[in-house]
Amino acid sequence: MGDPVPTVKFLGLTFNIANDLSVLLTCVIVFLFVFLLSRHIALKPKGGQNVLEWLIEFTNGIVKGSIKGSDASHFGLYAFTLFLFIFVANQLGLFIHVQVGEFTYLKSPTADPIVTLTLSFMTVALAHAAGVQKNGMKGYLKSYTAPFLVFLPINIFEQFTDFLTLGLRLFGNIFAGEMLLNKVAGLATGSGGWFSYVYAFPIEFLWQGFSVFIGSVQAFVFVTLTSVYISQKVSPEE
Amino acid sequence: MLSHLIIGASGLYLGDMLFVAISFIVLMAVIAKVAWNPVSKMMAERADKIANDIDSAQKSRQEAAELAEKRQEALSHSRAEASDIVADAKQSGEKQRTTIVAKAQTEATQYKQNARKDIEQERQDALKNVQSDVADISIQIATKIIKKQLDPEGQQALINSYIEGLGKHES
Repeated sequence: MGDPVPTVKFLGLTFNIANDLSVLLTCVIVFLFVFLLSRHIALKPKGGQNVLEWLIEFTNGIVKGSIKGSDASHFGLYAFTLFLFIFVANQLGLFIHVQVGEFTYLKSPTADPIVTLTLSFMTVALAHAAGVQKNGMKGYLKSYTAPFLVFLPINIFEQFTDFLTLGLRLFGNIFAGEMLLNKVAGLATGSGGWFSYVYAFPIEFLWQGFSVFIGSVQAFVFVTLTSVYISQKVSPEE
Repeated sequence: MLSHLIIGASGLYLGDMLFVAISFIVLMAVIAKVAWNPVSKMMAERADKIANDIDSAQKSRQEAAELAEKRQEALSHSRAEASDIVADAKQSGEKQRTTIVAKAQTEATQYKQNARKDIEQERQDALKNVQSDVADISIQIATKIIKKQLDPEGQQALINSYIEGLGKHES
């Protein structure tokens, strides 16, 4: 945290190695988790399939809570993947923090605003695309003047605030969590000598537990808001 | 720490954004193939199967009730039939009994009559035989006992008159 970032230039684009490695690791963990749970799919579920189905029911429940009717089934997969990805990404930094020299290579990818804003950008883009597909370009544009023409600037402004708040809320929570975790760790290895470990350990322990909780809640909130934004675009009259 | 956002705004975050978006989309595609589609399909299948099972259970219960009703009906029907059959059998048995008894009675009477006739006949025959035998024997005895005291004609007449009296007395 607060360190210079390891970057690589490729095809004229700059890549932050720390972010990309963390995202990759998150993807691999999520994939392995889902892959191992879905090995024996049967009509009568057992073990892993039960867990997987419970998770699917959970995210489907979030989606169906805001998107009404048959539209909900189109976004189940997105919500499921999003939830698992953000959940794992949030927890990743609590367990792994690889630092080589002055560069950090592995941390929570969601502790970086670029990652969270990309996720929120995907959600907003999906919401707008779904709105155009469902109501046509005319209906989509018309929703900006609802309920009156006067609301047009507010409605346009709202698109940007939705996008920003969605991404920055997640980033802020996870970034703050990691920051504090680092500070507590710094406390232990600081000037207090061996005694500092004694009081730093329970604080670190407590804060890690709390961060797990925050990470879970933020994953849930992100998916919930995603389905709310999609439902606003798909059925604007509600 | 966020300095890279400001300084490298032109290049830095585009690469990361692309990377995040592409990894996420790839992850979503892989999950869809590996888990989401088969599990969702299985869940839909299960829901269908449960609905079907409920339907078929209801149907078979209805069928069972129908069958039970039919059986009850058949049972009462057969009971009535059985009592009919028994009544019929009783009636015909009674009829047969009366005819058999009547026939036996007439036959018995006939036999009795025939027997009586036969007996009468036998008696007549026996009587006739006895009549002649007795006459002959008497004559012989009489001849032996009272040789020549009476002439045979007078003796015969006497015996004949006696036997006639005997036959009259008998009948």
